[in-house]
Amino acid sequence: MSPATPPKASFLTALTDLPKNVWKSIFRNPLPSNDLERSSTSFTNFFLHIHPVKVHKNSLRPAYTLGLGLISFFLFVILIVTGILLMFYYVPSTTQAYDRMLDLRGSVAFGTLLRNMHRWGAHGMVAVVFMHLCRVFFTGSYKKPREFNWVVGVILFLLTLFMSFTGYLLPWDQLAFWAITVGTAIAGYAPVIGKDIQFLLMGGTSVGQEALLRFYVLHVAVLPAVLTLAIAIHFWRIRKDGGLSRAEDADPVVSLEAAPADKASVLEPKKLYGFQGLVRGPLPKVGQIPDNTVFSWPNLFLAELFTFVVTLSAILVLSLLFNAPLEEPVNALHPPNPAKAPWYFLGLQEMVSYSAFWGGIGVPGIFVLLLLGTPYMDRSTKGVGKWFSRDRLLANTIFITFVVANIIFVIIGTFFRGANWAFVTPW
Amino acid sequence: MAVNLKRSSGEDSDGGKTSRRRMLGWLTGAGLAGSAGLSAVSNFVFIKPRATYGQPQRFSVGKPEDFPSGTRAILAARGICIVREGTKLAAISITCTHLGCTVGAADTGFACPCHGSRFDQDGNVTGGPAPRPLPWFQITLAPNGEIEVDKDIEIVPGSYLSL
Repeated sequence: MSPATPPKASFLTALTDLPKNVWKSIFRNPLPSNDLERSSTSFTNFFLHIHPVKVHKNSLRPAYTLGLGLISFFLFVILIVTGILLMFYYVPSTTQAYDRMLDLRGSVAFGTLLRNMHRWGAHGMVAVVFMHLCRVFFTGSYKKPREFNWVVGVILFLLTLFMSFTGYLLPWDQLAFWAITVGTAIAGYAPVIGKDIQFLLMGGTSVGQEALLRFYVLHVAVLPAVLTLAIAIHFWRIRKDGGLSRAEDADPVVSLEAAPADKASVLEPKKLYGFQGLVRGPLPKVGQIPDNTVFSWPNLFLAELFTFVVTLSAILVLSLLFNAPLEEPVNALHPPNPAKAPWYFLGLQEMVSYSAFWGGIGVPGIFVLLLLGTPYMDRSTKGVGKWFSRDRLLANTIFITFVVANIIFVIIGTFFRGANWAFVTPW
Repeated sequence: MAVNLKRSSGEDSDGGKTSRRRMLGWLTGAGLAGSAGLSAVSNFVFIKPRATYGQPQRFSVGKPEDFPSGTRAILAARGICIVREGTKLAAISITCTHLGCTVGAADTGFACPCHGSRFDQDGNVTGGPAPRPLPWFQITLAPNGEIEVDKDIEIVPGSYLSL
């Protein structure tokens, strides 16, 4: 023991140690150099603790997940940041909105870049969320015990579509105006409550200032809040459902029954043990079980960082190369001819050009109900964790049929429709 | 220390009757759920506007002399097309009955640029997804000699105003 230091010296020490102490009060662990510290770093850091300390090797295989869920989330983060920045210059007014778009282009530093990032990020999110949904389907990952997380995922997909729909109305250009007109009219075809929904969305009987304000509030407050909550549930359920799905043979089957009966406790199902009963003797299999997990630090975190950097770079490159389109200012008297939605809604637009109810409400509604019901109708536990497993030939074939049908509708709508929505050939 | 894991059955020890505790639980739950429901309803009442701003539905469009015989004048701002044949006058809506786009004049009548609905000169559907013909609006001659159109009143297609 050293003799007590005088108060003055200890104060000086406190001053000199201030940076170190502040740092240590925030980060309790040094950069990890052993397994204990790797664990501590994962579960004492707020941002890391939603991860497991150890993660299964299968979850880190890029060929299995393609990183699509992560990319979706990072695109959402990019959209939140760029969206908040854009809000500093945007006014949801029919007389100002379009001018503000021109201001963003002409007089705001990085205005064009931020709007491009927001637009391409949104398009990317629609595409990647859909691909993520396809990945989960083709690997049979919606099966028990992940049924409910699949339902949350389908809801997230719909929210993503609604986010992008409310978003591209805000510039108040021709696309915006006619998209609101058509979109709210489709809602009006819903049975019983359709007209009320249409009236609530438009805030009146015609598309104007009230409708713009309502879609703005939905886009910047209501939907992001709901989306954030749904994402939180989605992530939490991944942990609670045992991590990402994997094939049954990804883990070795370990039997505890072969344990010598003299010391080790034998675990029987549905029998309660006190803690003492569990720790009395070492399980002889401990240490012999092949461990297919690795520490999240650094394996998972580096993979996530890599995915984020690639995602952000891709959006940046796209935004530097291509400008987000801005159509003519609203002309409520004359729709552009043809008046086309963005590519991801062109399948829908093609369908409503046959029948407003069946194309806009009936068929999409049935498709969503089928998606939501999938894990409760397909109760077989076979074929989980493998892409295009032969055990899931029927389910995958049905799903591919739906996807291809929608892609065909998108292609027809994009390339084969001309003035007055007449059939044209693109060559 | 024993932990009671038995679920309460809702019956008191005599059996058969709903206990006071259970009853109070039901009442509390019903009260909370009712309050939440009322709040949700009042929120919907709040966001449903009582008064709306919009174009007047009844307006005059000028004197009959402005529309010589054979005219098919699209008044886009009013959302109507004034048709005059001889002494007969009519106002046909140019809002597509499919999904609300504004139809344009075409050789055979009207055509919609959004989803390809087609109408003949009288607004009858000749093609595309439109479920109904274009409505005709009531058209009258005001005392000051101007043509007055009321978009709140639809009339039977083909009924003209005779001057």
